[in-house]
Amino acid sequence: MSDVQEATKQLLDVNLHENWRAIQVTESGPRSESEHLQVTIGATVPTGFEQTAADEVREKLGSSCKISKDRGKIYFDISVESLAQVHCLRSVDNLFVVVKEFKDYQFKETKEEVLKDFEELAGKLPWSDPLKVWKINTSFKKKKTKRKKINQNSGREKIDNGQGDKTDEKEDKKGFTNNTLDSHILDYYENPAIKEEISTLVGDDLASSKDEKDEKEETHPKVLKFRVTCNRAGEKHCFSSNEAARDFGGAVQDYFKWKADMTNFDVEVLLNIHDNEIVVGIALTEESLHRRNITHFGPTTLRSTLAYGMLSLCFLFHSTHPWSYSSAQLEPIHTMTALWLCAPQPTDIIVDPMCGTGAIPIEGATEWSNCYHIAGDNNPLAVNRAANNISSLLTKSQIKEGKVSWSLPIDAVQWDICNLPLRTGSVDIIVTDMPFGKRMGSKKRNWNLYPACLREISRVCKPGTGRAALLTQDKKCFTKALSGMGHVWRKVHTVWVNIGGLHAAVYLLKRTPQAFVHPSEQDGERTPW
Amino acid sequence: MKLLTHNLLSSHVRGVGPRSFPLRLQATEVRINRVEFNPDFTARMIPKVEWAALLEAADTLHLVEVPKGPIEGYEHDEKFLTQMHHVLLEVDVLEGTLQCPESGRLFPISRGIPNMLLSDEATET
Repeated sequence: MSDVQEATKQLLDVNLHENWRAIQVTESGPRSESEHLQVTIGATVPTGFEQTAADEVREKLGSSCKISKDRGKIYFDISVESLAQVHCLRSVDNLFVVVKEFKDYQFKETKEEVLKDFEELAGKLPWSDPLKVWKINTSFKKKKTKRKKINQNSGREKIDNGQGDKTDEKEDKKGFTNNTLDSHILDYYENPAIKEEISTLVGDDLASSKDEKDEKEETHPKVLKFRVTCNRAGEKHCFSSNEAARDFGGAVQDYFKWKADMTNFDVEVLLNIHDNEIVVGIALTEESLHRRNITHFGPTTLRSTLAYGMLSLCFLFHSTHPWSYSSAQLEPIHTMTALWLCAPQPTDIIVDPMCGTGAIPIEGATEWSNCYHIAGDNNPLAVNRAANNISSLLTKSQIKEGKVSWSLPIDAVQWDICNLPLRTGSVDIIVTDMPFGKRMGSKKRNWNLYPACLREISRVCKPGTGRAALLTQDKKCFTKALSGMGHVWRKVHTVWVNIGGLHAAVYLLKRTPQAFVHPSEQDGERTPW
Repeated sequence: MKLLTHNLLSSHVRGVGPRSFPLRLQATEVRINRVEFNPDFTARMIPKVEWAALLEAADTLHLVEVPKGPIEGYEHDEKFLTQMHHVLLEVDVLEGTLQCPESGRLFPISRGIPNMLLSDEATET
């Protein structure tokens, strides 16, 4: 795209934005109504961390959540004014607005009848409020679309020049908004280095507006493009997700006179079917929020939402929880609820000794900035990437006051996990993503690595109050390694998660009050550190 | 590398005993940043700080206005806390070395990252 074209598009963007506002102003009634709109929002979260996400929603939005049986989803009600804050949630991957929920949908016997029902359903759903929400949501994102397209087209070279690009973007953004809340949301879409496939950008044919008037006054004065995505789970369905999407989509198209487009769509309609539960929604995020912090990827970069979930677990199980040697495994949901009510205090030194690209410490420094985070790894490439990701984070939040540079309470060190250069008992929390032995290392290596790792982190972790959240897919190896360490580690909780199809677990361990004794100390004397 | 990190680092060279802390700091490039001040956080850090190590590092870097130790009622002393906040979080050593006081082994600090690896073998990816 040439500079002229880009400038033109930006201008048209501004004009259309003005038009939108103009339209809304003339509709005096609907506008004030939409401001007090209550809607149900659905969010997808890493499986196993539904409760963590529900807690975050309660804390930040004041809403209570319904956790769906369809794993990995939560639902909550908000007023439309809080939509911006919803985008600030750190434990959720994708967001959508619920059009309608059917708790117990009665499927007919034959495929033809079921699909006919879906067709008829399209015209009977309460679309108008959710579409209002979609429109408001789209106005947050519009400003970013062109920038992202440019970055994508110019390839990865630009990404490594991260600093330069971001300054340019900041200058452009100023023209559109001085609202810090808007620019915070825009940051989520600023990330140029998304490796995984992304749905697409909001259609850039806003420039070529057709001005086609719709009977439905709430829709945009141009033909919208849409697609239907159907997720289906359940044994007893006589139809496929493709068939449902196709027929439902056809009816939606007839109803709204929208144009169907699989790749360049404005509206993504979601049809989620889980056994007898159906939820129809409209997507509010294009690409997942979970890559938000990372600009420099590594081969196994952890999702930020998962990093957030693991860090949350540690705070939930703070030392205010009465220490007990009971081996009874409490019901996870009850435990977390009970401890959440204890109002956990933040603790201080949080270390990820195998940080890779630094996903966990970076999430930590962003969300728990009243703690100190250290990211360490033995691999120089990894540590450098982590440091770059930290710098990128700073560039985002940097306030330019003359030559002052800002920093965050986070540091990076290159070290060996089996021999950490840290004082004994100096660390409060260890959170790390251990090598699964699939893409990194090997199962055989894990056999030696895991016990050595557990020993060393038991040394640096503070007795009595310290804890660790360790993610691994090599559960067998981990369990065996842990079995010999009952004198220093107590497993208090396990969360089962799905990482790219692999069944992994996050083990939450508490450090026992027993002081670390160096194997060479025969006479019971303790090393001072 | 911030001084708070330095305060947590100790030598892990095999065979060294208790005198392996602190690591002797030498800096050729230092940058002063601004970090958001959190008095609660700073106050809670004070009991964890190894003061001798901190003062030695601060001295090497020729920092001024460094408290010599915790004072009475430090939790509410804004001036004290601000000074500690500055020393612990806002001084960043970008280039330099850390030295194990017992073995003499040197560890380089480059682009703000200390390399504490003991062997020079290529690390696994």
